[in-house]
Amino acid sequence: MLLTKSNTIIKNFLIAACFAMLFNACKEQATDGMIVMTQVATNLVNSNDSSVKDILYHSKSRIVALNPNKSGESLMVLSKDFFSACAPNISYDGKQMLFAAQKNQNDPWQIWELNFDNLKYKQVTDSPQNAIDPTYLPDGTIAFSKTVSFNKLNTSLALFTCNLDGTNLKQIGFNPNAHVASSVLMDGRIVAISQQMFPYQSDKNFMILRPDGTKEELFYQGLKGGNLQTRACETSDGKLVFIESDNRNQVGGNVISINYNRPLHSRLNLTSNINGDFYAVSALNANKLLVSYRASKSERFALFEFNIEDKTLEQVIYKDNDFDVLEVVYIQKHERPRKLPSEVNLDSKTGLLLCQDINFTAAQTTTDSTSTLNATKIEVLGIDKSLGIVSVEKDGSFYLKIIADTPFRIQTLDQNNRVVKGPGSWLYLRPSERRGCVGCHEDPEQVPENRQPLSANNNPVLIPVLAEVLNNKVSLK
Amino acid sequence: MKTFQNLLMLLALSLVLGLIAYFPGKKMARIHVNDKTAVEDHPLSCISCHYYSQTSGVISKLINVDYLSPFNLALSNDGNRLYVIAQDANALLVVDTKSNKVLNKISVGMHPHSVILNAKGTLAYVSNEWSDKVSVIDLQASKVIDSLNTGNGPAGLSLSADGQFLFVVNAFSSNLSIINLNSKEELKRLNTGNNPTGTVLSPNGKSLYVTSRRANAAPYGETLISDLTVIDTKSQSVQKRIGMESAYIMENVAFTPSGDLAITTLIRPKNNIPSVQVEHGWMMNHGIGLVEQKENGRVIQLLLDEPNTFYPDPFDIVITPDGKKAFVSSSGVNVISVIAIDSIRNLLANASPKMLKMYSNNLGMSSRFVIKRLTTGANPKGLALSPDGKRLYVAEQLEDKIAVINTETLETVNSIDLGGPKRITVARQGRRLFNNASHTFQNQYACYTCHPDTHEDGLTYNFAAVGRNLANVISLREIAGTAPFKWNGTNQSIYKQDGMRFSRFLTRTETFNYDDLDALVAYVKTGIKYPPNLMYHPNAELTASQLRGKEFFERSVDNEGKLIPKNNRCITCHSGPRYTNLKMADVGTLASTDDPTLFDTPHLNDIYSAAPYLHDGRAKTLEEIWTVYSTKDEHGRVNDLSKIQLNELIDYLKSLRGPRYNKADSNSLFFKSKNEKDYENSIKKTY
Repeated sequence: MLLTKSNTIIKNFLIAACFAMLFNACKEQATDGMIVMTQVATNLVNSNDSSVKDILYHSKSRIVALNPNKSGESLMVLSKDFFSACAPNISYDGKQMLFAAQKNQNDPWQIWELNFDNLKYKQVTDSPQNAIDPTYLPDGTIAFSKTVSFNKLNTSLALFTCNLDGTNLKQIGFNPNAHVASSVLMDGRIVAISQQMFPYQSDKNFMILRPDGTKEELFYQGLKGGNLQTRACETSDGKLVFIESDNRNQVGGNVISINYNRPLHSRLNLTSNINGDFYAVSALNANKLLVSYRASKSERFALFEFNIEDKTLEQVIYKDNDFDVLEVVYIQKHERPRKLPSEVNLDSKTGLLLCQDINFTAAQTTTDSTSTLNATKIEVLGIDKSLGIVSVEKDGSFYLKIIADTPFRIQTLDQNNRVVKGPGSWLYLRPSERRGCVGCHEDPEQVPENRQPLSANNNPVLIPVLAEVLNNKVSLK
Repeated sequence: MKTFQNLLMLLALSLVLGLIAYFPGKKMARIHVNDKTAVEDHPLSCISCHYYSQTSGVISKLINVDYLSPFNLALSNDGNRLYVIAQDANALLVVDTKSNKVLNKISVGMHPHSVILNAKGTLAYVSNEWSDKVSVIDLQASKVIDSLNTGNGPAGLSLSADGQFLFVVNAFSSNLSIINLNSKEELKRLNTGNNPTGTVLSPNGKSLYVTSRRANAAPYGETLISDLTVIDTKSQSVQKRIGMESAYIMENVAFTPSGDLAITTLIRPKNNIPSVQVEHGWMMNHGIGLVEQKENGRVIQLLLDEPNTFYPDPFDIVITPDGKKAFVSSSGVNVISVIAIDSIRNLLANASPKMLKMYSNNLGMSSRFVIKRLTTGANPKGLALSPDGKRLYVAEQLEDKIAVINTETLETVNSIDLGGPKRITVARQGRRLFNNASHTFQNQYACYTCHPDTHEDGLTYNFAAVGRNLANVISLREIAGTAPFKWNGTNQSIYKQDGMRFSRFLTRTETFNYDDLDALVAYVKTGIKYPPNLMYHPNAELTASQLRGKEFFERSVDNEGKLIPKNNRCITCHSGPRYTNLKMADVGTLASTDDPTLFDTPHLNDIYSAAPYLHDGRAKTLEEIWTVYSTKDEHGRVNDLSKIQLNELIDYLKSLRGPRYNKADSNSLFFKSKNEKDYENSIKKTY
């Protein structure tokens, strides 16, 4: 009798459990198919947060969710417990969202994660410096930008990675450029807006690097005097879209598309025929974008669909006369990018750089230039001092072992140490990273000639050529 | 009641014993799997190695099936019939292009390569690469009516303008057979470049171009040169050899209808450069070579790749009758690249030699002449255009289908199912992975790129530290039972060889997931087919010279009557069916740039086709191993041998072939395969 009763209880429990599981499986996530936006009520020109230099972060910005299929439904405010919030980034399974926020008015910006199932959030970073622009990485960690000092006087925003609980914090970018607005391409690399800050401020570019910080290189050269304003968003057909203006101080710009396959030479202004300004863009589907747009400066930025093929604005999705739409992203499950293996070995203190011929330059790629450069040496320049002068091999090649995670630039010299070609952009090598270059200032589309560099037959030259290293006071092993 | 209690006791005892055995057993299995896979989280699945990798017996028959694997194509003059080489079925398929149905399956020789029709369209010639014969097929009767002897490894075919001569490219013996079709006799055999496969006759019929896949033998670091051999068809002699610098794997070649350009597919490897990165094409580039057909005509190379996307393993090229478009099958990424030939002419018109040299290494150039990339099924190989040029047929080798593309709209309009098995076996999936570059960063190269035909590309690479530990690419044929792997024996299994370290140092992208790794290993272990070494071992008998060489190989006493120390006899290290004792040894060829180590003893099967030799490829020939690099008997006792005796030893070594060809009995794949028997019977019936 007792056995029968307990059997019945177990049976009922199992049935209930099955129903619960079935219900859970069928239950749609409350935010599925919704659009997440960042809004700000105050005037855009006046609301820039001065604590976050050179990026478009706004005090009192908020993150909201909109159901595009229910026009009458009010917005769901996702950041109601924060003074300011922005930079939403959706996880690959569409169930979580990273964002940057200030809990209180004078707090530094930190990274938070929101769970769409229960709308609960947790703090990811806890730093006295600003931590902004988070993005999910394919291996389950995140990348973001954080303020760092690169010498006694100057600070910049460097790229970092960490676990979702904030542990295992690692700086991955080490040149004195500001890196913001990172996103991850399907090939697994991080693309971020980068702006040289030292020794002079230059135009913004998109740089690309592996999630371990290796192989950083130019991906897209921004307009001279222009302004890259948003993350690069990759579409399903191999394009990247973003907002760029031709004026550094302009609020908003045009929607620009480039091809992943050939990003340096495929720029297409999708909105050149549309008057007005665009402030945000993200992919909706193969042929549609979500954009924030205003026809004139007297209007607020509102949310529209944009047809890529026709290059036309379509229906307005959301408009509010009291708020500008600053960012937009569609909540959906999306394909996880490639999980790239890392070559970084933190036990090592150096990286290796192999150059095939310093006298090979971009000019030789596209012209029939007969000018012969006569550089025979290179000088490796650090932030505030020379790290050494190295004679190159007869074929123009050099092979360096450079202290890791240290920014440097290279200039070429003639036999009398006169500068032949001034320093290029900042470089750095991660511990145990191996990199190669075809020449100096060479065309990035040029591949190396299948020729063994003479320098490869010798041991690499140690950089910095410092007394501390030479005297074995500092070990690079 | 007592029986029930006993039963209960027995059950309890079994349970306890089971539990006692389970946990240590699981732990041991974990250790075993970790050891084989070199990772700690591969699922504890016995079937990965012990089921999918079975090479014989019932299980092997159950899990594997025979596919068709369409390779090369030809169309009838009216375009109504498509003739498809079904390489793995040893057959020629006849397809009705109206109904898209397979009408006939004609058994031919082993591993057919190419098909060509005579001018009337009444006869087809099929080269049987592993039978050293060309099958002559009466297309009306759909029967093999004759068989022509060729050199070793007949591949590409061409007919003279008057139809009197058949030109047969011999891929393995690196020459060209000229066969008089009236007498059916081979008239001449002309030397070509290394490992030729493709050939084409110029529109005026005066010149025949022959490609080569391997570069000419050269020490590491020297510029690679692969020959395009030009034959004067009138004198039937070699007119010139055009060296294609820094390129190899020229699979096929085509002429523009006007005859102003010959265009070949090619690969530009970066083996002389330390492989410090993949980015920016530092490992492999893929493109075309162009030869201007005029006095002092230039030889030009252009890449099909783009800065962030690569198009590996270009195989075939065809050009539309109007000369406007060329189509290239990029078999490593399942793409057909469409080329505007006039754009290439414009590009070249004002380019100086210096600019052309830059162009050959520029990833942006393809945007100037590639007008579209068309996606195909798995592993597109041979191409054929309909006579009016409006339809392009693509042999999707690992799909068992033919794609049909409209050459005006550049859309795929049809897919012809050739009727191969629908089930994709694990090994077949492995072959797809092997041939596809998607597991390499930006699709820069597939396994197949360095291991064409699952063999090796004849090059030495600097994969490890800059300037150190150079490694000669080894053949993958018959490597299943030859662990450890790598010349220094650091990888105990193929799992480890192709696993995490492989992705960290070679493919530089996400590693294979375990299902894919299982499939890849299953393919390498079970699915690799290879030719029967007809060049040095045409039948079950060794020649007298080889028999004498065998004696030297197995000897224990030298010419002076002295006992050879055991570890200095050939047979000691190179023992067993694969001629390796699977142990490490010092053969005295460690270079100053190598890390100190012993050498993994390689197997010797099919060594005849695996030049260059030694771990870093320094020996161009087998002879050089002893005459140049082992002058003090470090690599076995040989210095007592006379020149003739050494030649006999080498003659024997070259006769060695894989176990599947070792016995001339009912198990021999070569002599008694079903298709081979069908083929022989069809010939007998004809006569």
